[in-house]
Amino acid sequence: MTTTKEAAATAEKKGFDFSAIRNFLPLIGFVVIVAFFAITTHGLILTPKNITLILSGGYMLMIAACGVWLIMTMGCLDFSQGSMLGVSCAAVCALSHISIPLAIVGGIVVGALIGAVNAYFHVNRQIQSFVVTICMMFLLRGVCAFITTEAPVMADTSVLQLNSMSLLMGITIAVLIVTYLVTRFTKVGHNLKAIGANERAARFAGIKVQKTKVLVYVIAGAITGFAAFVNAIKVGSVTSTAGNMFETQLLIAMVLGGMPINGGARARFSNIVIGVLSYLVLQKGLVMMGLTTEIQQLVMGVVFVAMVALFSERSANQVIK
Amino acid sequence: MGNKLLLHAEKIDKRFGPTHAVKEVSLDFYEGEIHALIGENGSGKSTFTNMLTGILPIGSGTFTLSGEQVAPKNQVDANHHGIAIVVQETGTLSGLTVAENMFLGDEDQFIKNGLKDTRAMNKKAQELLDAYGLSYIKATSAVDMYNFEDRKLVEIVRSTYFDPKILVVDETTTALSQSGRDKLFEVMRDVRAKGHCVIFISHDMAEVMDMSDRISILRDGDFITTVDVSEVDEDKLKTLMVGREMGDHYYRTDYPDYANEPAGDVAVCMENVSVPGELDEVSLTLHRGEILGIGGLSECGMHEVGKAIFGASYDRTGTVKLGDGTEINDINTAIDHSIAYASKDRDHESLLINDTIEDNITLPSMRDMGTVLSDKKLHDFAQKYAEIMSTKMVGVNQYVSALSGGNKQKVVLARWLGKQSDILVLDSPTRGIDIKVKAAIYALMEDMRKQGKAILIISEEIMELIGMCDRILVMKDGKVNGELLRSPELCEQDLIAKMV
Repeated sequence: MTTTKEAAATAEKKGFDFSAIRNFLPLIGFVVIVAFFAITTHGLILTPKNITLILSGGYMLMIAACGVWLIMTMGCLDFSQGSMLGVSCAAVCALSHISIPLAIVGGIVVGALIGAVNAYFHVNRQIQSFVVTICMMFLLRGVCAFITTEAPVMADTSVLQLNSMSLLMGITIAVLIVTYLVTRFTKVGHNLKAIGANERAARFAGIKVQKTKVLVYVIAGAITGFAAFVNAIKVGSVTSTAGNMFETQLLIAMVLGGMPINGGARARFSNIVIGVLSYLVLQKGLVMMGLTTEIQQLVMGVVFVAMVALFSERSANQVIK
Repeated sequence: MGNKLLLHAEKIDKRFGPTHAVKEVSLDFYEGEIHALIGENGSGKSTFTNMLTGILPIGSGTFTLSGEQVAPKNQVDANHHGIAIVVQETGTLSGLTVAENMFLGDEDQFIKNGLKDTRAMNKKAQELLDAYGLSYIKATSAVDMYNFEDRKLVEIVRSTYFDPKILVVDETTTALSQSGRDKLFEVMRDVRAKGHCVIFISHDMAEVMDMSDRISILRDGDFITTVDVSEVDEDKLKTLMVGREMGDHYYRTDYPDYANEPAGDVAVCMENVSVPGELDEVSLTLHRGEILGIGGLSECGMHEVGKAIFGASYDRTGTVKLGDGTEINDINTAIDHSIAYASKDRDHESLLINDTIEDNITLPSMRDMGTVLSDKKLHDFAQKYAEIMSTKMVGVNQYVSALSGGNKQKVVLARWLGKQSDILVLDSPTRGIDIKVKAAIYALMEDMRKQGKAILIISEEIMELIGMCDRILVMKDGKVNGELLRSPELCEQDLIAKMV
C-alpha cells in the first residue's frame, strides 16, 4: 500500500514538474545559446564591446516585438512587419526635413494605417491573417521599391545626430515597460489570451473580439511605425530592401522566447524579452563563428522548426471523462 | 451467466498529469452480454474504454482478448483486433463522403493494382446502409449533408459492419432521438446475439436497466463492483455510483397555484423573432421568479432561442427586449444587462478549454473590477465562485481541458454566478452530466428562482422540463407549438404530442 502511494506521489510530481520546466525552457534555451557561443568564440562574444554591439542591433526588434506579441497572443500573425517598417521609415525620413516630432508622428500614423488596412481585410472580410499580411508584404515591398527607384530616401542629418545608446536604450525600455504594465495589470492581456484560446467562446463571454482585433493591429502598426524612427536614427536612409526579412526575424525571436504559435493562455510577456535576446545572440554568434549567410539561414530554420515543435499544444485537446 | 470469458482487463491504470483518472481497474467481459459501465462524470469510464479502443495509450496494465494480449495503437488498429467504438461527440469527418467516412483508415480492401476502386467502395457502403435500414442515406453524398443524428448512425454502421467482438457505445444515446436510439439498441442486441460483447456507457439509468445484462460501477477512477441487472434497481445503482444514499426527489416538489398567484415582472421578451432556417416568428415572455422551459426535437430551432436572447444570433429579425424596454441586439448589451448564457456546445461556445479555470470564471466580470487588475483579486474571485459551485479541481490555475463534463458546466455556472446575472438562459444545462452534479444544478436553479431571478431552460430531456419548469413551451419546426403549465398530472406524452 505504501509503495503504491509513493509511486503515486512521484508520478504526480512528474506531472507538475514538466509544466514547470516548460515555462523555464526559453530561459534555459537562452543560457544554452549564450554558453554555446561563449565556448565556440572563446569568450569573445561576452566582451563589453560585443555585448554593446548585440544590444544596439536589437532596438527595433525589441520594440516591434511588443506589437507582434499582442497580435500573436490572439492567435493571429503579421508578415507585413518588415515592409511596414520600410514604408514607415520612408515617411519618417521624408518628414524629418520639416521637423523631427512631425517625423515621429508621421511614422506612427503610416504604421497604424497599414495595420488598419490589415485589420479591415482580416476582421471585416474574414480572411486569415497570414494571407492578408503576406499580400500586404508584397504590396508594401512594391511601394518601398517605387519610392526609392531614383535614389534612397535620405533623412535629415539632425536625425542621425540623435544616435546615442542611452536614448535608444531608454526608448526601447519605455516601450517594453508600457506594454508590460498594460497587458499584465489590465483586462487587455486577459482578453487577448482569451481570443487566442477560443475566439468563439471569448465572444460568448462578452469580449468584443472584432473591435479588439482591429485595435491590436492598429497599435502593433503604430509601434512598428515608431520602430521605423529608431531605424532612421541608426541608418539615416531608406533603400528598397529596408526591413527585409524583419518579419521573419520577429517570428523566430517570438518562437525562441517560447511563444505558442497559436497564441492563447500560455503566451507570456517574457517571451518578448527572452526571445529577442536569444535571437540576437544566436545571430551574432553565427556571424562570429564565421559561418556563411546560407548556413546561418539554415541553422535559423532548424532552430525555428525545433522550437515550434516543442511549444505547439498537441496534447491540449486531451479530455478526461 | 456461465458464458465464456471474452475480454479481461488486468490492473488498467491511467494518469493525466496530477489527475489519477483510472486506478488499477480489473474487469471481466463475457461473450454474449451487454455490459454497462456507469459512474459519475470523471469516474474514468471513457478513459478506460478509450484505452481499450486505442484512442488513448494504456497507462499500465493489460487487456486480454480471447487469450491474446491487445494494446491497440489507434482506432483502426483496434478494429483489426475486433474492437470498435461509437463515441460521444462527432466522429465523422466533414468534407468526406459517407462512404469515405465509413471505410476511413480501412480503404485497403478496395485497392486494386495500386488504385482505389471508389465505385466498389460506394457500392459496399450503400449495401451496408441498406442492410441497416438506412437506405435514405446515400453513400456518395458528403457527410455534411446529414444532420448530427444521421451522422451518428453512419458511425454506428461503420463501427459494427465487420462484426466486432467488442463494441463500445460511449454515451451515444444523448445525441440521438428516440428512433435513433431504437436503431442503436437493435444493433446492440444484434451484437449480443452473435455471442459478442457490448460495453455500454450511459448516464440514463432507465436505459441501462433496460438494456444491460451486467453493470459495473466506477467511482473516482476506482472499480466499485459488478452487479447482475436482476439484483439491483435504479436507486441501488445511484447509491453505488455516488457512494451514499441518494434521494429520489432532486426535482422541484412544489406546485404553485398559478391561477391566483400573479406572475413576476417581465424579465425579457421576444417579439416575432425570426432567424433564417432556425426560428419563425417566435414570441415569448420570461418573468422574474419563474423557470420557463423550452422543449422540442433537437432540430426544432429551440437552441437558437437561447442565442437570440443573448444577442448572439446572426441575421435575426424581430425584437428582443428587457422589461424596461432596452433592446438586446448584441452579446455585450446582454451581459451588461445581467443576461447569462450557457451554450449546449459547452466546449466551443461556453468555455476556453485551453485556458485556466480562473480566466474562464473571471472573463465577463473583469470589466467590473476596475482598470488595474491584480493577480490576487482575480484569483480570489475565481476561487470563491469555484468553491461555491464545489468544482472538483486541483486549483483555479488548472486548465479546463483537464476537467470532466460536469465540472466544466460548474465552471460555466460559476462564471455567471460571479457576474451576478439575473436572467439565466441555460441550453441543455445537464447534458452529459451525472446525477450528483445534476441534483446540485437543479438545487441552484430552484434557489435562484426563489431569489426572483428569471431562468430559461432549453432541454431535450423531457423529465427535466416537467420536473423543474413553471411553464413549458414546446417548439416544432421553428415555431412555438404549445404551452403547458406546471402540474403534477403533466406527463411525457403531453409534451411529445406537441413535438411531433
